[in-house]
Amino acid sequence: MGLNRRAFIQFSVGGTLGLLVTPVIWKTLDDVSIWTQNWGWIPTLKKGVEERVPAVSKLCPSGCALRVETVGGEPYSTTGDEDNPLSKGGLCPICADAVPLLYSPTRVQGPMVRTGEGQYQPVSWDEAKKLLAEKLGAAGSSVAVISGDDTGSGNEVFSALLAELGSDDYYMMPSPQMAATRAWNGLMGGEGQIGYDIAGSDFVLFAGADALSSWGPTVSNMNAFAESHPAGEKAKSTYVYAGPARNHTSSVCDSWVPVHPEGMSAFLLGLAYNLITEGRYLESGDFAALRSLLASKYSPAQVEKLTGVSKKSLAELAGKLLRASAPVVVADYGCSPAVAAAGIIVNLLLGRMNTWGGMVALPEVEPVLGSALDRPTRFAKDLPADVASGAFAPKVCLIYDANPVYGLPQYGEKIAEKAEFTVAFSTFKDETAAVADLVLPAAHPFERYDDLVNPFGVANTTYVASSPVVKPSLDVMGAPQFALDLAAEMGLDLGFENFEEVLEAKAEAAEAAVGTVGSYSVGLGLPALSDADKTSGQLALYAYSQLHIGSASMATTPHNPTTIRDTELQGKQMFVRINSETAKANGLKAGSKVRLSANGVECQALVHVDEGVMPGVVAAPLGFGHTAWDEFSMGKGGNVYKLLTVSAGSGGSAWTGSAVTIAKM
Amino acid sequence: MDSKLFPEGATRCSFGQYLLWLGFISAMLLWGVYASFLIFYNGIGVTAMDNYFGFALWITFDLAVIALGAGAFFSGFLKYILKIKQLEKIINLTVIVGFICYSGAMLILTMDIGQPGRAWFGYWHPNVHSMLTEVIFCITCYCTVLIIEFVPLILEQKQLNRNKFIHALAHNMHVHMALFAGIGTFLSTFHQGSLGGMYGVLIGRPYAYRDGFFIWPWTFFLFVLSAVASGPVFTVLICTIMEKVTGKKLVEYKVKALMGKIAGSMLCLYLFFKYLDTWAWATDVLPRMGFTFDQMFYGLIYGKWLFWSELIVCGLVPAIMLIVPAFRNRPWMLYTAALLNCTGIVINRYVFTVQTLALPVMPFDKWYTYAPNWSEYATSLMIVAYGLLVLTLSYRYLPVFPQERELNS
Amino acid sequence: MQVKEFKIKWGMVIDIDKCSGCGACMVSCQVENNIAPMTQEDPHNHLQMMTTKRDDPSNKLRTLTWLNVYELNNGKAFPEHDVAYLPRPCMQCGHPACVPVCPVVATDKNEEGGIVSQIYPRCIGCRYCMAACPYHARYFNWWDPLWPDGMDKTLSPNASVRPRGVVEKCNFCHTRYMKAKDRAREEGIDPMELPEGYYVPACVEACPTGAIVFGDLNNPEHKVAQLAKSPHSFRLLEKLGLDPQVYYMSKREWVREQGDNHAAGDHNSAVKQASQGHE
Repeated sequence: MGLNRRAFIQFSVGGTLGLLVTPVIWKTLDDVSIWTQNWGWIPTLKKGVEERVPAVSKLCPSGCALRVETVGGEPYSTTGDEDNPLSKGGLCPICADAVPLLYSPTRVQGPMVRTGEGQYQPVSWDEAKKLLAEKLGAAGSSVAVISGDDTGSGNEVFSALLAELGSDDYYMMPSPQMAATRAWNGLMGGEGQIGYDIAGSDFVLFAGADALSSWGPTVSNMNAFAESHPAGEKAKSTYVYAGPARNHTSSVCDSWVPVHPEGMSAFLLGLAYNLITEGRYLESGDFAALRSLLASKYSPAQVEKLTGVSKKSLAELAGKLLRASAPVVVADYGCSPAVAAAGIIVNLLLGRMNTWGGMVALPEVEPVLGSALDRPTRFAKDLPADVASGAFAPKVCLIYDANPVYGLPQYGEKIAEKAEFTVAFSTFKDETAAVADLVLPAAHPFERYDDLVNPFGVANTTYVASSPVVKPSLDVMGAPQFALDLAAEMGLDLGFENFEEVLEAKAEAAEAAVGTVGSYSVGLGLPALSDADKTSGQLALYAYSQLHIGSASMATTPHNPTTIRDTELQGKQMFVRINSETAKANGLKAGSKVRLSANGVECQALVHVDEGVMPGVVAAPLGFGHTAWDEFSMGKGGNVYKLLTVSAGSGGSAWTGSAVTIAKM
Repeated sequence: MDSKLFPEGATRCSFGQYLLWLGFISAMLLWGVYASFLIFYNGIGVTAMDNYFGFALWITFDLAVIALGAGAFFSGFLKYILKIKQLEKIINLTVIVGFICYSGAMLILTMDIGQPGRAWFGYWHPNVHSMLTEVIFCITCYCTVLIIEFVPLILEQKQLNRNKFIHALAHNMHVHMALFAGIGTFLSTFHQGSLGGMYGVLIGRPYAYRDGFFIWPWTFFLFVLSAVASGPVFTVLICTIMEKVTGKKLVEYKVKALMGKIAGSMLCLYLFFKYLDTWAWATDVLPRMGFTFDQMFYGLIYGKWLFWSELIVCGLVPAIMLIVPAFRNRPWMLYTAALLNCTGIVINRYVFTVQTLALPVMPFDKWYTYAPNWSEYATSLMIVAYGLLVLTLSYRYLPVFPQERELNS
Repeated sequence: MQVKEFKIKWGMVIDIDKCSGCGACMVSCQVENNIAPMTQEDPHNHLQMMTTKRDDPSNKLRTLTWLNVYELNNGKAFPEHDVAYLPRPCMQCGHPACVPVCPVVATDKNEEGGIVSQIYPRCIGCRYCMAACPYHARYFNWWDPLWPDGMDKTLSPNASVRPRGVVEKCNFCHTRYMKAKDRAREEGIDPMELPEGYYVPACVEACPTGAIVFGDLNNPEHKVAQLAKSPHSFRLLEKLGLDPQVYYMSKREWVREQGDNHAAGDHNSAVKQASQGHE
């Protein structure tokens, strides 16, 4: 068979065309383009009516007022609530991720009883209730509550339950509110809840308070800052941050005053010294004693030595405070009542008590459950001190909205050992749930009734309540409701059967608590201030909190790992920040692997050399080093809460002086 | 055992030795097949590429083999269009090498793109402004041309050729080969150029961007020239390696030296423009973008040594060695020059791909480094193994070297 | 290449002096746009579990952070050291580097509003656009999207889930734009004249310090139109001529300096102008 040129061309062209007219090629290509966008494992989206439902998320320490976006009734996202003064449309990085947490595999699925080391058996709520009632009945008054709920009426329910059982061992987790309450309501004998009218101030000094990142009503503080610094216009007020390292707050403040971690109260007292030198005075029987204390221990030269702040900058700052028309000092460091007291003294010297743009004392919102402790009394008990001394040894310990095993400095891990029977009300499988004898799954904030009563730091009486946005997908319930049911089971009368009704009553009580506490006459808490001049002379730890990493009770949420910098966490290793001078003095350089140790506990970290840290200071992030939760946090970095050394001052435990050693590995 | 299939009058190594060699190639190939299976199954997250280095080893490898494979179109152009008769002694090999390089590159590309099933979108939804569209067009078309050029060689296999139809088909294809060589030249010139243009148009990438210099983007011509300057000597190197491995003379040295001379001349021409281009880039393009020449380099792996190696040690030096007959006519010098020449072009393709992307453009960003991982090496080696396989089979069974019989008798 | 002009030009002015780097915008962006949390193991893909680990979120070159917050510093020693945070969405360039290079027209800038689109079902995943974008605003799906079991119940209706192998990027929450236009029509507002705040992307809405101002750069009634002209305003890498629709502003000169490259000696006029006026 031959093939001439003609036949060859016919063969080639004909073959090609023949193939093209069959549908084989075209159909295949068409199908491919459809398949490649419709793989079975790619989730499809839900359709339906879209709504925005106002709610409260208490996943962050101060709680966010927000709106839950839903589609067909199913939440998918959160946005700030423009109509709520706490939010004004803003949102914190934890609550921005609140919805995905609704279906996090790390949620506690149902009540569980511990049957052995790390082993649990599911039980029904009824069984759990009966078991707990039995345990409580046997325990008599040897019952304690540890609460991490800084803002809610749930505290009253638990407190009333405790009172009915004959105990007053109500412990709050350490917080800025605790420090301020112990200082103001305790040491100084003042009334009402301290707050700061940051929005009304024209000169704000954040002394240690990381107020635009993690301290107090963060989102509301950030709003105040935003409004005082309108884009493209001259700032209406000046913000100054004083603290041991540059942090998120300082990055937007107009200036930064580096203050040694152990010198925060000395710094404030140094300001007080300057103010008094400038003729400021305050109405108190302790004033003369204050003067002599300042003269003997907190002269500018002494303060310079303690804080690293030069006489000149201190005097300049005092001058700015004096010249400002509405200055306010927001002081908090290491939960120290001394720092809080010193801050209050500076505000008083500036004449800023209960004034527009100053410090305010809000009237207490009265408890609605008769036997519940009032707010200041709730903050009186000292958990670290009682654990250390052995005074904390309850037969039954109820842990409500708290994760002390992770977030209580130094003594957290001992809680479950000291208590005979531990009950954890946990939304997530956290460290405390991992060791509790009974784990009761608390509903997610969007599945429960809850409220925010005067989140600490707000300048006006604030009350926000929220009802469930969505039905629980798991066998969970609100912890306060369970406490009410439990009381009923035990035949105790708390005055309410339903938490929703508690909230209604609370709303009325809040309505009655308006304005500020009219009169005040205070002591100055001088004993707490007289020993604030000690320094360890060693490397000092500055532990800072950033919400995107987590809090004392929340671990890193699913979408936050991408927001954590690679200079904060690298794989499983966290970074600590030190100045190049500190690095040199300790033979370290960027990327060195180090071991941090304090009070017998060690943490591994890598070195990030950062000129934004004072020499002699190790800045370490709180919020890493989880041993429970999920892969977004578990095993990443070290738990710096453990490195915080608790020191017992006269106002209560604090961890202002945290000597730490750093060794190359 | 398979001696009946050998080309007319040729001897080949024993079947056992041959199997051993095939076994070695297969091992390499299988490792690569395993890697590519994981890549297709799990996604290219398996590789070490990332959002900064979206073009990496694979693209460098592709660009390098496409440049080195340029011997095919350029020799074809010289032989069929300019009628340089001498080249027919090596033309078959250039076609095979070209075919290996292009088909290999296309295999890598199907792995490299995130949605291989949509590879044909380049035809269906083309963006005529994109250099890459041109590359997709020309590479696929030219690969077809190379297949058409390769097929008659296969059909000329001794046993196959006995079939009358096949014989006639092969003959007809040969008759039309000049046409294909012409089409090939056209397509190949264009996509070599577009590959360069791809980088030259990167307005946000100071290392690669070229404008305002004669014609835009200038890298278009530089890539064409550098490809034709290295392709021919790459074929010479392959040929020489085959000679060393088989212990036979396959192409007379005169032809190799001629290839060297052609490459050398093209390299001189290329370097002339490349130096001008570099000068204009350093003194005009970079300052306008806010950069200095020194900022283009960092540490060891993105160091200036690469720059000098490319332009002097692997540029000027081999150019001189190739155009001066006294050097070119010494085999060891020709081969050294060829090696340097090819290395220079590989460096060029590497820096244009990787260094371009590594350079931080935002002032607050930093240099990132990239190192390929096993899956990228394995798949690249798979292509090398595939090339060896094609060469082995072609050498053993096809009449690749017309001079073989005469040179080894 | 010609710059396409639009009647509406959505843009941002980001006040760097107000960004505290908290991360809320990045989280909101991920939630709004159905970006899966980064998990290292796919429990439904055994072969993958056996052979390879997906990425750790600290590998910042493998994230899907449409909005990425960079940390800047002034390079000075203690105590003059200063830091700033710079959120970087897609710049929606007027003269985008990415659009002309795409071989399959999977990205385009041809819709009123000037948002650079990304068509996921069209994208072949060649990553040429990523190589072209100097802002690193484009991200590649290295893996199939994967939510921890159950979490995909919370998917947002506003962004389709992308398969692996395609490029994606910020689109100013384009679905919100569509919805805003629909809402406007219902409410009798001209969709071409949306009032300020009628359409805002998720990050803008979440930002607790109001650092991101969003609006129509062509509408003099919108704040962005005025802010963009502030002497403190600048755009990233202005010298490249990409004409971004995202502006930044800072009163700090060192921050403005870092908006562009000046190694070759010159300083851009915006920096000069502002520093003469204020420093």
